[in-house]
Amino acid sequence: MLANYGYIGLFLIAALLFTLLMVTIPIALRFLRIVPDKPNPIKNSIFECGMETIGKTWVRFNIHYYYYALIFLALDVLVVFLYPWAVNLRELGGSGFIIILVLMAIVLVGFSYAWKKRVLEWK
Amino acid sequence: MNLALFIPELALVATAVIVILLDLLTEQKRLLAQVSISGLVVAGGVTVAMWGHNFPTIFNNMLAVDNFALFFKMLFLGVAFLVILSSVDYVIKFARFQGEYYALVLLATLGMMLMAATTNLIAIYIAIELTSISLYALVGFLKDAKSTEASLKYLLLGAVASAVLLYGMALIFGFTGKTNLHDIAQSIQALSPPTLFASPALILGIVLLVAGFGFKIAAVPFQMWVPDVYEGAPTPITAYLSVASKAAGFAIILRVFFSAFGQPDWLSQNWGLIFAGLAVISMTLGNIMAIPQSNIKRLLGYSSIAQAGYLMVGLAALGVSPVGDILGQSGVLFFLASYVFTNMGAFIAVIAISGKLNSDLIDDYAGMGKRAPLLALALTLCLISLIGMPPAAGFMAKFYIFSAAVQHDLLWLVVIAVLNSVISAYYYLRVVKVMWLGQAASQEKVPSSAALRLALVLSCLGVLLLGIIPGYMMRLAELAARIFIP
Repeated sequence: MLANYGYIGLFLIAALLFTLLMVTIPIALRFLRIVPDKPNPIKNSIFECGMETIGKTWVRFNIHYYYYALIFLALDVLVVFLYPWAVNLRELGGSGFIIILVLMAIVLVGFSYAWKKRVLEWK
Repeated sequence: MNLALFIPELALVATAVIVILLDLLTEQKRLLAQVSISGLVVAGGVTVAMWGHNFPTIFNNMLAVDNFALFFKMLFLGVAFLVILSSVDYVIKFARFQGEYYALVLLATLGMMLMAATTNLIAIYIAIELTSISLYALVGFLKDAKSTEASLKYLLLGAVASAVLLYGMALIFGFTGKTNLHDIAQSIQALSPPTLFASPALILGIVLLVAGFGFKIAAVPFQMWVPDVYEGAPTPITAYLSVASKAAGFAIILRVFFSAFGQPDWLSQNWGLIFAGLAVISMTLGNIMAIPQSNIKRLLGYSSIAQAGYLMVGLAALGVSPVGDILGQSGVLFFLASYVFTNMGAFIAVIAISGKLNSDLIDDYAGMGKRAPLLALALTLCLISLIGMPPAAGFMAKFYIFSAAVQHDLLWLVVIAVLNSVISAYYYLRVVKVMWLGQAASQEKVPSSAALRLALVLSCLGVLLLGIIPGYMMRLAELAARIFIP
């Protein structure tokens, strides 16, 4: 058991050394003047994949979308259950049919709750 | 598949759904409490009727319907009954969402009942999440700054604890290839001791399980959420968290550790020592941190950490030297039952007093002995029970647990536990002193509603009955614990 922990320790030391090495390489290259020091605005600009962003990055979404997302989630999960049930409907038979009806009834309670609480009205 | 054995749970689901629908249709919010209570009574009646039979497991060995599960189901249904009784007046504080409150309490109860019954790692996780998610929402129901902060803290720390728990389960599944607790036990026992000894993954998995469950029972390194959440949450929910959530955590610890990791002996000795260590720091830290508290809900929060410590003394005793008796397990169950009545009683008294005073500060409780003698008397009884003094239930509970620990050669742990009980007397009795000897700010009486009085009388009756004639509850606990004897 101790030997196993020893291996873990070795891995830990190797990982730490590797990280340190990777951090020190560019610093050392810079220090040895192998890397030239020629800054310009394009070089110093923020590196991102793709296009530069237009406008502010922190776009605000209307809070109403949150309700729709929640309701969609419930529907989504229901559909995930409905697909395998529909495929195996013949084998599952009558009891399977009743069980899925119960599941749908419970999800429907959620939808009717949202409806009654006026979540679906866009104000 | 025998759905008849699942009736208590189905009754709770049906009640929760009816409460949600009824809330949409009616303006009479008191009706919701009545419907919830009648649902609980139906579920409780069926559970009591199921007691004592040897039922098979249901849902492909996912859920056990044994006496152990039924014992805890009755406990949780009883707690939910008291919580809803004591919420009837409290919910008026919420401008909206009264129906959701009752429905969530019922769903959390359902989750706890499943927690006590599951024998499968995956089902355990789902049951814990069902309980936790309901409770996250319930903690934030007051919608003020403190309550929201408490809810967010509980959610974030709970999510971390869930992740740790899942990682532990994944390691154990990876090691044994099974998710059913009995299969796990078999595949562990089939291995030779050297192979087991050379497998740190199993030990790590067990440690992570302890951490995940430790969050639920608020054992010390995982207790950071307790004071803030207890202070911020609506008081009936604080009571619910401190009692039922903790009992559910212990139910699942007992089942997982005795069903899956009870054999071989050296393994149980290992986790027994973990629990012994946790017990020492939980008791000591909980009691010492409780001393300077000025808010009664925070005080009871730290006290519940200390009580979890005493309970873990029982777990440690069982793990460290597994003798073939059930004194230890039934002692833990008895302690849980007495703790349920005691802490519920204390919190119901706090709900009644603080609801009138609009303050949770201990100093404002001054002169309660004159302003509300019965409430003060009930709170005093419960605090005495928490210290562990006769004639209250806490005395018998501590007696059973400590004597089990002494018989299992853990004298040092019992010495620490008794010293801690002495420390705890200081801060519990301080509340008593303020109530009876302090100068009241006003002479105004503190009235309480009929529902609160009924809940308080029931819990205090429980405290006294368990303290004076503990035999009945002990026999129930022994029957429930018998499932751990092979």
